[in-house]
Amino acid sequence: MSDRFDSFFGQALAILFALGLGALVILTVDESPMRVLVTLLNGAFGSPERIAGTLLQTTPILICGIAACISFRAGLFNIGIEGQLFMGGFWATWVGFSFNLPPALHLLLAMAAAVFAGMAWIAIPAFFRARYKTNEVVSTILANYVAILITSYLTINWFKRSGGQSETPPIFESAYLPELFSFSRLNWGLIIGLALALAVHFFFTRTSRGYAISEMGANPKFAEYGGIDIKKQTFLVLIASGAVGGMAGGVEALGVHHRFMEGFAPGFGFDGVIAALLANGNPIGTIFTALFFGALRSGSLLLEVDTTASREIITVIQALIILAVSAQITIRRKASDSTAGERRWKF
Amino acid sequence: MSLAIELKSITKRFGSFVANEDVNLAVESGKIHAIIGENGAGKTTLMNVLFGLLQPDEGEIWIDGEKKSLPNPAAAIAAGIGMVHQHFKLVPSLTVAENVFLGMEIRKGGLIDHAAQIKKTAELSKQFGLQVDPNERVGLLSVGIEQRIEILKVLARGARIIILDEPTAVLTPQESRELFQTLRGFVAQGMTVIFISHHLEEVMEVSDNVSVLRLGKNVASRPTAELTKSDLVQLMVGRLVSFDRLPRTPTAGKTMLEVEDLWCRDDRQLQALRGVSFGVRAGEIVGIAGVAGNGQTELAEVLSGLRPSSHGAIRLDGRAITGLTARDIRAAGVGHVPGDRLVRGVDRNASIAQNILMGRQDKSPWSKHGIIDRGYLQEQTQTLIKRFDIRAQGPQSTAKSLSGGNIQKIVLAREFTGGGNCLLIDQPTRGVDIGAQEQIHGEIMRQRDAGKAILVISVQLDELIRLADRILVMFGGTIMGEISGDRVDEEEIGMLMAGVIPEPRSNTVGAA
Repeated sequence: MSDRFDSFFGQALAILFALGLGALVILTVDESPMRVLVTLLNGAFGSPERIAGTLLQTTPILICGIAACISFRAGLFNIGIEGQLFMGGFWATWVGFSFNLPPALHLLLAMAAAVFAGMAWIAIPAFFRARYKTNEVVSTILANYVAILITSYLTINWFKRSGGQSETPPIFESAYLPELFSFSRLNWGLIIGLALALAVHFFFTRTSRGYAISEMGANPKFAEYGGIDIKKQTFLVLIASGAVGGMAGGVEALGVHHRFMEGFAPGFGFDGVIAALLANGNPIGTIFTALFFGALRSGSLLLEVDTTASREIITVIQALIILAVSAQITIRRKASDSTAGERRWKF
Repeated sequence: MSLAIELKSITKRFGSFVANEDVNLAVESGKIHAIIGENGAGKTTLMNVLFGLLQPDEGEIWIDGEKKSLPNPAAAIAAGIGMVHQHFKLVPSLTVAENVFLGMEIRKGGLIDHAAQIKKTAELSKQFGLQVDPNERVGLLSVGIEQRIEILKVLARGARIIILDEPTAVLTPQESRELFQTLRGFVAQGMTVIFISHHLEEVMEVSDNVSVLRLGKNVASRPTAELTKSDLVQLMVGRLVSFDRLPRTPTAGKTMLEVEDLWCRDDRQLQALRGVSFGVRAGEIVGIAGVAGNGQTELAEVLSGLRPSSHGAIRLDGRAITGLTARDIRAAGVGHVPGDRLVRGVDRNASIAQNILMGRQDKSPWSKHGIIDRGYLQEQTQTLIKRFDIRAQGPQSTAKSLSGGNIQKIVLAREFTGGGNCLLIDQPTRGVDIGAQEQIHGEIMRQRDAGKAILVISVQLDELIRLADRILVMFGGTIMGEISGDRVDEEEIGMLMAGVIPEPRSNTVGAA
């Protein structure tokens, strides 16, 4: 219990430290940090429309974050969520514009295609990790670039909408993920993300399988001794993580863009990984860290309009947060004794 | 005879634990001096004191007839002492020569003089017969060659007295032989070697003198030629003072666990088991004795499904379980208390309840339809905490907040209540205080009387005599002999542990 408090406290302190550094950076461009903060908050939460905009940005980060949590809890690092998202988004779109089906069925099939694409895209890294202990961090990161380029190739060379830009034809309305309010593109994806967070939390804290996987993450030798099939669980966990990554792409395609284009979802996968890392792999905590990143993204839109600061300042702040948090995790791990069972953050 | 090193009444304490107690040690110059003892006997601590890594609480260090104080390794190096550690400290991306001179680079005009370093390395390598290529990158080399580089580092710093801490632990037999050649070359050039080991064979083969440490004390220092291997074992293990065998009634039933001609390899792919056969009957405790590192741990790992066997058969209650996974062997009714309990036995960061759950998370009533019954888990954990007298605040205390003895009780509580009829117990009381030892022994006896077939592996002979109905002695991956628990002859066990088959009793034992 006190461990959990320490970790939360440390994390909060790291974020504050990063924001302080961010303020210094803002001062160097002759802008008032206070004004930037107020503008950010105003941009993110200033009106119902802006709140909905923030939640719209939060949704894909949240779902990607859940995908990351699933692998982190097992002591694995799926850093290929961006690629799974691109694959999921593309194939959901393909089902969306290639077939004309009854509404519910069409949506379901398109979503299934997204999930399946995500699973397929992590299958090779997952197999090699489970069978030969190939480092999944490297293989999943590399798979990102391949995914982004393949979907881009397919879009431009095979499915490009005639006359338009580098994008596919729009999907049929029967495959739309319904919107929640009339004034925003915010859609059922948010509800899916929240439900996923609760379900994954329940899975890890209450089910036998979730217990086995958590122990595998905490102390693999103990898990092996207790009869847990490490290879099999490793493969399944990565596939599940990839499935959720693909789902994030499906939600973006079917709920927001209604088509697939180049630069489809810039950096949501990476933001999700960071959100999960900040939340220590806890899916409930990831809801809040995802909201934080969603607010930064959405607030930064107003930043360029109202202040002299560029919205790139947000990228700087994010990078500072990542630095501070990794430093904090490293320090904490060194402080506690580094014997068995402490390899959850092995990066 | 001149002394290279003389340690006088060295005492080193860590808190209340005495690692070295009043140790006197005299090392003749120009000789290979072996220091032998079981794990935890205080060998490494003593050497760290001599190398300036640790400060003794009492005692004096004399080097080449002069009293010295060694506040740090630099002082020890200045006094001509060099140490080759068990774990190498090399930079894989640098070349051999760069590693040898790391931290004391030869400079010319402010820059590193690579040519001079390479030349010097080649000279040292030639002078001492340590073959290396100074230009090769260390990352590409074998462990045996890495060790040569470590030795070259020590030589390059001008050491005349070289300490090697368990140098053969990482080597293949061929590499070990080459190392011994090198060490003999050193003493031929007038240098002194201190060689730490717990392998009898090596000590007999390579050393001129030997000192035996037991429980932090130097119990004997003699010329190696005056001692036999079984003498060494007895000195290492100690005279058996107490034969306080726990009272018992014969309850042995039919054979539950049967092992036939079992072979396996260790992590270095060397043969660890070479044709082990035995049986354990229901209601019987069979003890496995032996100096650590003779295949006992590998035996427990193979029997519990954690290590593959290369040949042989294991049967449980007549059913073949050879090659099954750890999960299936558990399901077949084998409980396993692992030797390294903090690595395998528990998740230190998890609660007692979570540790109790391991292995049974899929079974009713612990879980239903895949959902853990938390109420039942709490209740059962509470019951086990009481029954096994685990000293903790409650089921939610983390394992790492408890003492070693109480952590071991968590492992026992889980494994003894798994419903199986066979138990493998590796080092039941290692690192456990006396009070908890009594309780653990009592619980093992209750399991025996309840009709379980129990295999106890221990490096503590007195523990086996207390518990076991029969004792099997392992040496070099084989079973050297069997001794009935109520007629233990310590001389006989000592010979078996040293790999010597005792002469039959009827013959007169002649003084050789």
